[in-house]
Amino acid sequence: MTRYYLFSTVVGTALTLILTGHALLANPNSWSPGPASWKGDLTSIAASDWNYDRAAHLLGRAGFSGPPEEIQKLATLTPEEAVRSLVDYDGIPNDHLQPFEHSGFWDESLADFPPSRPVATELAMDRGESMGILVKPDHVNRHMQPVSDRFFYWLRATQLETRRVGYWWAERMLDTDRPLQEKMALFWHGHFATAQNKVRDYRKMLLQIEMFERHATGNFGELFVAVAKDPGMLYYLDAGVNVKGAANENFAREVMELFAMGVGNYTERDVREAARAFTGWNFDNLAFVVNSSQHDDGQKTFLGHTGNFDGVDVLDIILDQPATAEYIAGKLYRFFVREDLSESLQKELGAVLRDNNYELQPLLTTIFTSRDFYSEATYGAHIKGPVEHVIAMLKQLDAEDVPGIPDFNSTTIALGQHLLNPPSVAGWAQGQSWITPALLQERGNVAFDYLFPNVIAFRDPNFLSRGGDGTVGERLRSGQNFTTAIALEDETAEMTAFNMANRERDELFNTRVSGYRAWAEAVRKLIPTPRGAARFDLTQIVLDAGATTTNEAVDHLLGRFLRMPISTDLRDGLVALLDNELGTTNLTRAQTYLEEPLRMVTHIIMSTPEYQID
Amino acid sequence: MTMSHRGKKLCDQSGVSRRQALKIGAQGIGLGILGGISPLPPMFGATSTALAATEGKILVVFEWFGGYDGLSTFVPYGDDALYRHRPNIGVRESDVIKVDDHFGFQRSMLGMHRLWDEGNAAVIHGAGYDQPSFSHFASSSYWHTGAPNSGEPYGWYGRTADALDPTGTPNFLVNISATQSLAVRARDHVPVVFADPSGFRRDLFYPQRPYFEQLGNGQKSRTDTHKFLLDVNQSAREASALVRQAWENYNTTRNGDLRLLDLDKVVALIENDFPARLYYVRLRNSLFDTHVNQQSPHNRQVQYCSDAVWGFFEEMKRIGKQKEVAILIHSEFGRRVPENTSLGTDHGTANVSFVLGGGVTGGQYSTPPSLTDLVLGNNLQHTTDFRRVYATLIEEFLGYSKSENVLGDKFTPLSMFT
Repeated sequence: MTRYYLFSTVVGTALTLILTGHALLANPNSWSPGPASWKGDLTSIAASDWNYDRAAHLLGRAGFSGPPEEIQKLATLTPEEAVRSLVDYDGIPNDHLQPFEHSGFWDESLADFPPSRPVATELAMDRGESMGILVKPDHVNRHMQPVSDRFFYWLRATQLETRRVGYWWAERMLDTDRPLQEKMALFWHGHFATAQNKVRDYRKMLLQIEMFERHATGNFGELFVAVAKDPGMLYYLDAGVNVKGAANENFAREVMELFAMGVGNYTERDVREAARAFTGWNFDNLAFVVNSSQHDDGQKTFLGHTGNFDGVDVLDIILDQPATAEYIAGKLYRFFVREDLSESLQKELGAVLRDNNYELQPLLTTIFTSRDFYSEATYGAHIKGPVEHVIAMLKQLDAEDVPGIPDFNSTTIALGQHLLNPPSVAGWAQGQSWITPALLQERGNVAFDYLFPNVIAFRDPNFLSRGGDGTVGERLRSGQNFTTAIALEDETAEMTAFNMANRERDELFNTRVSGYRAWAEAVRKLIPTPRGAARFDLTQIVLDAGATTTNEAVDHLLGRFLRMPISTDLRDGLVALLDNELGTTNLTRAQTYLEEPLRMVTHIIMSTPEYQID
Repeated sequence: MTMSHRGKKLCDQSGVSRRQALKIGAQGIGLGILGGISPLPPMFGATSTALAATEGKILVVFEWFGGYDGLSTFVPYGDDALYRHRPNIGVRESDVIKVDDHFGFQRSMLGMHRLWDEGNAAVIHGAGYDQPSFSHFASSSYWHTGAPNSGEPYGWYGRTADALDPTGTPNFLVNISATQSLAVRARDHVPVVFADPSGFRRDLFYPQRPYFEQLGNGQKSRTDTHKFLLDVNQSAREASALVRQAWENYNTTRNGDLRLLDLDKVVALIENDFPARLYYVRLRNSLFDTHVNQQSPHNRQVQYCSDAVWGFFEEMKRIGKQKEVAILIHSEFGRRVPENTSLGTDHGTANVSFVLGGGVTGGQYSTPPSLTDLVLGNNLQHTTDFRRVYATLIEEFLGYSKSENVLGDKFTPLSMFT
């Protein structure tokens, strides 16, 4: 966890000196926003204005926060060096990150996975085969059952594997030595939002995330073209049905409305013309292809230009629009800095992006070094997103890994962010929409679950099957016949008889049985997610920081987890809680039973409104 | 099943009257808040002003997200054009419960038809707006803000709350959902948003309780975002114990035969005198986006929804509130008129909406759109700006006469409540 990139050994030496003292205890809530006059000022912050809290601000926004040691390292650099260490990360080795390990669900027969179960079974009826599965001889009752089973197998498998991709990515966010790379990948995932629920192929989602990591702080123009050719995106925005003579506008519209320009900068005609230019763009398994027979090669007029444009031409024209650089710069700014952005500042930032030919590093450097970024208006204006929140929590706790209990995906889903399944093509709404009364309490509950893993109630969500599928499975396993096994549990509770008529009871197969069989087969192949609690040691953390009294312990924890100060009443209350639980104010005396009470204090700190802000 | 059993009110549990309870509350019952132990959470006192407001009408918006197919819901079976556009999936006359010689409910909608028979169901034809968007995302945001093609930051329902109750009384506006709908975003109200009432609580250990109660107390807000979080924190404290308690009470009184989708949470709160006047429920896991093979899933989904609405009003009758509570049903758009090549329908424009209960004068309102003069690529031309429906509810039902203050413009109400 402490593989942070250092510029020189001199810095390292200075650090050691600082860390040996009690510097970390001195000023627990060192909230130090720059003056209000810095708002909108893109001038670089001076070295003399640089301090620990501003370094913490930078690491929180440009990364996933971190323990005091990591913040201190940034604080000892100049602001330019600190920003460069985050933005210009190519020289920082990151080889310890592991590639994704596939469970092995996929094989070639799934390459043309049918769009729906009816298509799958109808295809099998026509051809006697679908997805590599032969139908049974047709004198056998429900002879299509294996085909239906196969269809649902892949749906279940890709869903389970997507949860593992989420875990894998979270682990990278925690372990990386290039935090901005993962933060930017998360940004692009929300910007070029694509959802596994529709794509139904975790491999395409994985490729997309890897693409976002690769291009994270690279050239926006290159990323833009790569996304347009990305199989996940092509599927998600219906490239397959965008063909000459019957253009589908889905991608063409979103590429302008959401990905590059924003509404008001193009007409409906531009949408139609762009859609023609993208006709024939498709994918074959995991590769981009252009089906030239489906491509409309005719003349198009798009954003004032006329020619026999193809998709890349259209993307180039979009990149030429001043609106595009401003839109992207504005969106990055709102993600990293604050929602309130003046038109003039947006133009200024757009110009930085455009003048650097869409290279992202100069823009990010401008943003992160600017006085504006450290101004009063920016400080405390950001509400951490759920993924960011959980990773920051684990980093601040010095956890070695993303634990298996609680389940990472379940915790962020409960907080409103399902990685690899954004709610729509517009991504997540960010900001205040992350918080409702119930979600604010849930943030405290999620902290509770990481600090006090519920080992009794925990169930691996991969195995959860008490719903309809599970019931059918249990009945089949107890020797019940098909018809009894598939009956609905609450038959008598139905209001009308129409349920019977509406229910699928196709003689050729039964989808409820497929639900059970598909799940069982998918889980047989699934690489299990290790289920253990987060490993960290608050006792050690507090003692290593030099705390000797309950007062000092609380102040260390406040300084470690919070930047915005809490009321002195609550702070004193936390000391009182610790005193009561320990029976002493002396940490050395209480060292052998310190952990649980420290976790209680930490839980309360993480539940404060202030902890949700960064 | 338990029609005769009256629900226990929050204040009935210990036999204390509400007024007595408020006094106890003022002194502070102590640690009970978080565990739901005390008979009456102390913060009840803070909401006493709003309790008076529950004497008035209560509106429930039940959003059938996904774009339900109005033509397969309230079916114009008397129009041959329907079957020309939809030779395969047009709902046949034999599958319609007729209300007149032209229209009828799709036959699985027994529940809503019963409300119709009782005179408690209004159907609004052709609700939509100019320059419609075919995107779920954009069109629902237009319905949510009540301001199509604009940058309006607040929701129409949130603005209604602000207009009805300018002081921003806590617990006035409820959104049953995991995430907050744009519709309830308000300037002066913090909506109570939750999906699972029993999960609307803090997990904690006993020694931590006093400090959780103290959370946010005496904290001055340092930034706008901080103020927002402090307000939400306050709202969570004011609402969560009440919501949980209401749900616990309801589980002992509810009619277990009824499937209410998320409307059961609304029943629980109303029955237990929760002070909200505005509830917003969005259908979860909607099956309404029926591009492919739509008949079976669409029938099933409207049936579930229609059963739930009927069941909801059965519960309202049980607690004697059927005249005080109304439901509005709408979607972000209807479906395109002709069926597509996959036996489904694609995103469309105007749609039927429904207003039920609350003393509505049952019947059909506004002009049904023509199935022959189609616009914008085989779509229905809307005949009623959807904001007229909002204006009707704001003025005629909720009794706030200046709906233009909420909707930005004067939209003529439909005279649905007399």
